[in-house]
Amino acid sequence: MFFQIGDFLVGMFVGVLTALAVRAAMWPGIDMVIAMLIGMGIGMVIHFVVAFMIGPLLGMFQTMMPASVIGMYGGMFFGMRDSMDAGSASWGAVALVGAIFGAVVVAALKVYDRALRGPTLDMEA
Amino acid sequence: MSIALENDAKRKWDGAANSFDLLSFGDDRRFADYKRRLFSKMYGKSLMVATGTGNDFKYFPPGQDIVALDISPKMLEKAAPRAEGYPGSLVLKEMDVCKLDFADDTFDTVVTVCTFCSVPKPVVGLSELRRVLKPGGQILMFEHMRSAVAQFGVLLDMMTPLTRKFGPDLNRDTVGNVLKAGFRLRRVENVYLDIVRIVEAVKD
Repeated sequence: MFFQIGDFLVGMFVGVLTALAVRAAMWPGIDMVIAMLIGMGIGMVIHFVVAFMIGPLLGMFQTMMPASVIGMYGGMFFGMRDSMDAGSASWGAVALVGAIFGAVVVAALKVYDRALRGPTLDMEA
Repeated sequence: MSIALENDAKRKWDGAANSFDLLSFGDDRRFADYKRRLFSKMYGKSLMVATGTGNDFKYFPPGQDIVALDISPKMLEKAAPRAEGYPGSLVLKEMDVCKLDFADDTFDTVVTVCTFCSVPKPVVGLSELRRVLKPGGQILMFEHMRSAVAQFGVLLDMMTPLTRKFGPDLNRDTVGNVLKAGFRLRRVENVYLDIVRIVEAVKD
């Protein structure tokens, strides 16, 4: 249970940090492609730092893989949104959407992990 | 392995010895049941490679006859008290997996835990393990490797140049390397996504 809760908290934390950092770096009207690239870069740096700080406690790969998806795709989505000035007017709303995005990605990866887990080759069976 | 590569590996893992248990705290607890289940298949005379601080000795079934190796003297210092506490025969030796000081066909079982992410020449190391295994002997591996999922595979490729400086490569094709070394795969199991995996193989 410690690890399950920890996975979600870290995912939400990465989502919030990425959303806030991207909002701070963007302005309405910036070219959307540039915004997405900058957002992705910001998200990747955040994911890397957080994963290496918290990975030893919760498991390196279980921390790093969801954080990478949140940082990379979250950064792009948040950059796209902020370049269009489309929604999440307050910093609180930005953080909330980041947390929701992080939690959804963690949940989705847990489902995907369940689907992949188990023998892929078993000559004993 | 060349002297330079061997010294690099020794220096790297000596440097990691003090923080190794701390850095593997989460992984150790999350994967405990998988390791215990894998090691329950050990039989006969066993060889453990890249023992580290001996953190995995607690998952060995009692009463085994085990030789445990590491290239790092500092890691072996940390492992010594754990080896003494093992309820069976567990002898520590400083040795490079690419240059094993054992006769052909010595062991029935070889065990590795997150080893072939770090051995500079993995196929050479695996071939050496195959040499010291008896015909019919088994290798039981708990390893992380490159994901076949594009998102994760590319990420692991990107991170490897950094992680290699202080620890493992993240993008090895360990299952492929096992086959290249001449083993026959017996069982492959995904533990986390398709990155952390159990690989069991046999020397025919």
